[in-house]
Amino acid sequence: MSLTPLARLPRMARPWCGIFLLLIGTSGTLSAAELKVNEARLRLLPGDLPAAGYFILVNPSETNITLTGADSPAFGNVMMHRTVNQDGVTRMQPVAQIELAAGEQIEFAPGGYHLMLMKRTRSLAIGDDIEVTLFFANGQQQSITFRAVSPTIQ
Amino acid sequence: MRRWIMTAFASLWLVGCGEQAWQTKDISGLMPPLAFELVDENGNTVNAERFLGKSTLLFFGFTHCPDVCPTTLARLDAATQRMDEAARDDIQVLFVSVDPRRDDPETLRTYTDAFGPRFIGLTGDKEALEELTRRYRVTYGYGEEDSNGNYDVSHSSAVFAFNDQGEARLLIRDSDPMEAMVADLERLAGDT
Ligand SMILES: [Cu+2]
Repeated sequence: MSLTPLARLPRMARPWCGIFLLLIGTSGTLSAAELKVNEARLRLLPGDLPAAGYFILVNPSETNITLTGADSPAFGNVMMHRTVNQDGVTRMQPVAQIELAAGEQIEFAPGGYHLMLMKRTRSLAIGDDIEVTLFFANGQQQSITFRAVSPTIQ
Repeated sequence: MRRWIMTAFASLWLVGCGEQAWQTKDISGLMPPLAFELVDENGNTVNAERFLGKSTLLFFGFTHCPDVCPTTLARLDAATQRMDEAARDDIQVLFVSVDPRRDDPETLRTYTDAFGPRFIGLTGDKEALEELTRRYRVTYGYGEEDSNGNYDVSHSSAVFAFNDQGEARLLIRDSDPMEAMVADLERLAGDT
């Protein structure tokens, strides 16, 4: 984070600002440091067709965790799904929870696990940042920003 | 000497000067030619003859499918983007929705437009869809409706490819590498 905005503030306000920033920084590391999310993207289809959310969830911590679901203010309904292909016939299965062992990662990727996001609460466009919260069995939550991408992105 | 030349010619013929093997699954002679009567994106009844003259890729799916259908269509788009322009223009993709209850012509048009001008949406009534899916020995079915009225549709994940005469040529699967698809589509575009 750049210090320039702080330097532009009136001299009296600076110490308070510094403390405030420090507090934000600390609380952030306390709640979110356990897990890492990479490549979060949301493949947007036209109209109100369901979108697919893909990401890589890494658990660098020393405890096992269980992903139990997701939610987004931009959608009325978010489900965890898995695509299965049996004898050339493909279908989707709801997934209630996914165990993620310590040090492991799980990939939500085309043809496998995906978030299925339905019933948009507002209009969305390619390039938008969309907030999604992941829920875990231990009560932990993690906010992720998904970038909305075109359906022709693989 | 003459014998040696004959052998050389024979082996050249065997390795196939010109006639290389398809890299995805060859279904020539195993599947019937393209034939159907369906409804297009404008609500008009169309049959397969209308699409002859270009190579056709046929895929069964539904627009409320967030994962497999867009992934397959995106792969087809990526493959055609890698072909030379002339060959690319010979390819059309028919996306046949097996979910006519939700996929009206308007929804289909907006959906296929998102993938580009090469993609054409079709659907039909139960009878037309059953006839077409039986013809290519694929199945589809409807999952249970949830409290939101949403339901899954199981469908074939493969893409059938036909030459510009509507003769069946290839079955392209999710697992086929991109290079194999591009090579075969280029060859298909030159196949008459
Ligand atoms: Cu799904």
